[in-house]
Amino acid sequence: MSHHLHSIYCITPPHMLRAIVESGSPAQRQWAVRTLVATEQFRGQRLAYTDLPAIVTRAAAMGKQRIIYNADNGSTLPGRQVRAEGDPPTGDAAVDEAYAGAGVTYDLFQEIYSRNSIDGNGMRLDSTVHYQQGYDNAFWNGQQMVYGDGDENLPEAERLFNRFTIAIDIIGHELTHGVTQFEAKLVYRDQPGALNESMSDVFGSLVKQRALNQTADQADWIIGQGLFTARVNGVGIRSMKAPGTAYNDPVLGKDPQPGHMRDYKNVSYDNGGVHINSGIPNHAFYVTARELGGSAWEKAGKIWYVALRDKLGAQSKFQEAADLTFKTAGELFGAGSLEQKAVRTGWSVVGLTAVEAPSPTPTPTPTPEPQGCRQSLASIFGPAQK
Amino acid sequence: MKIEYERTGGFAGMRFATQVDTASLPRTDSDALRKLITESKFFDLPSAIPSAGADGFMYKLTVEEKRRRHTIEVGDSAIPESLRPLVERLHQFARRHPPSS
Repeated sequence: MSHHLHSIYCITPPHMLRAIVESGSPAQRQWAVRTLVATEQFRGQRLAYTDLPAIVTRAAAMGKQRIIYNADNGSTLPGRQVRAEGDPPTGDAAVDEAYAGAGVTYDLFQEIYSRNSIDGNGMRLDSTVHYQQGYDNAFWNGQQMVYGDGDENLPEAERLFNRFTIAIDIIGHELTHGVTQFEAKLVYRDQPGALNESMSDVFGSLVKQRALNQTADQADWIIGQGLFTARVNGVGIRSMKAPGTAYNDPVLGKDPQPGHMRDYKNVSYDNGGVHINSGIPNHAFYVTARELGGSAWEKAGKIWYVALRDKLGAQSKFQEAADLTFKTAGELFGAGSLEQKAVRTGWSVVGLTAVEAPSPTPTPTPTPEPQGCRQSLASIFGPAQK
Repeated sequence: MKIEYERTGGFAGMRFATQVDTASLPRTDSDALRKLITESKFFDLPSAIPSAGADGFMYKLTVEEKRRRHTIEVGDSAIPESLRPLVERLHQFARRHPPSS
């Protein structure tokens, strides 16, 4: 099956794809990206898409460019364009929340970390709302954000989820998956996957805290507050302050997140528990931010962002994240600084001792021998960066 | 016919699972499920259909008959259209009968 599909996506020869991604129109470039992602998908290289370099979305850097699409309850992406940058509100809550949320997330990365969009080069922020019916999820598909309306198709008495644009940190979470895809490229499995998830929670929460102008001690550190209907016994999906306490409900069960290495959950589902074990690095960030006080995005967020951008690699695990955020804090604020000590405290609370890494050598991603489409991709872009 | 269904992952990372034995179902429900399995060509689907990106649901389905048993794991964005009605039906079962865990 994969061979059959992969042949479809191999029709365009490499030199032509190169020309398209470098000098095509925005629509053509978009198509080329889709082709590349689909190729990887059907090749079964579910993690390899993270290798796609920034070249595929090298936009004329224009600053904040948002487009919101409506899937009209179908599954086709991106769907029908309903709001573009600068357009007035539509009156559709999901459309307007997706637009505003993408805006404040862009602003956090641009104004605080001097990053121009997901790829650092003005990539357009595409979001689709009203995806499918009764779709209780939001996701990043490698190119854009997608939001469901919750379980709006069930009888009122059975509904658990509201629309997924309702919480601004969910929007920040999804968009940050895009940033990670272009930077550390953390593979979406086991500890690197849980770090990937944690980065999305960290910056999702910072988007919310900044929008509300909250200090670290004022923030609730809840991810997805407002997403549950009143029927659910819970305050949100995850708690960075107290992992494992966000909900405890007869239907949904109990929040499974650990907040310490001794409670790390070795599970096979959820790509090795990426949404579960993210509680550990989430809590380390929370403690670091509380130690430092003030606006969490200024110091703790800066340390985590620079580590994500410059230090972490595709296979990084929690210990490496501890060591590299510690190292980053030393570089940004000085060895032995209060900031660096706060990072060490953050990780020690979750059971990890951050050490001065002797010039860490990033573990190379094991790359299978290129063949077929994979070889075409490699010949276009060369080996993966970083 | 025995069917096992599990949905994990997604932004919320919650697990929904159920087991269905068609012998224990009313005839209309049992027939409807068999029809969905036939229409999805379940036993011809590859055992792994991954999808790219982050926060997509992960589905694991097992169907066991007298002489054969097949398990597939499929990522949300990669679900074949022919399989989607079966997944949706099984998810309704899982919502009504949540796992004890």
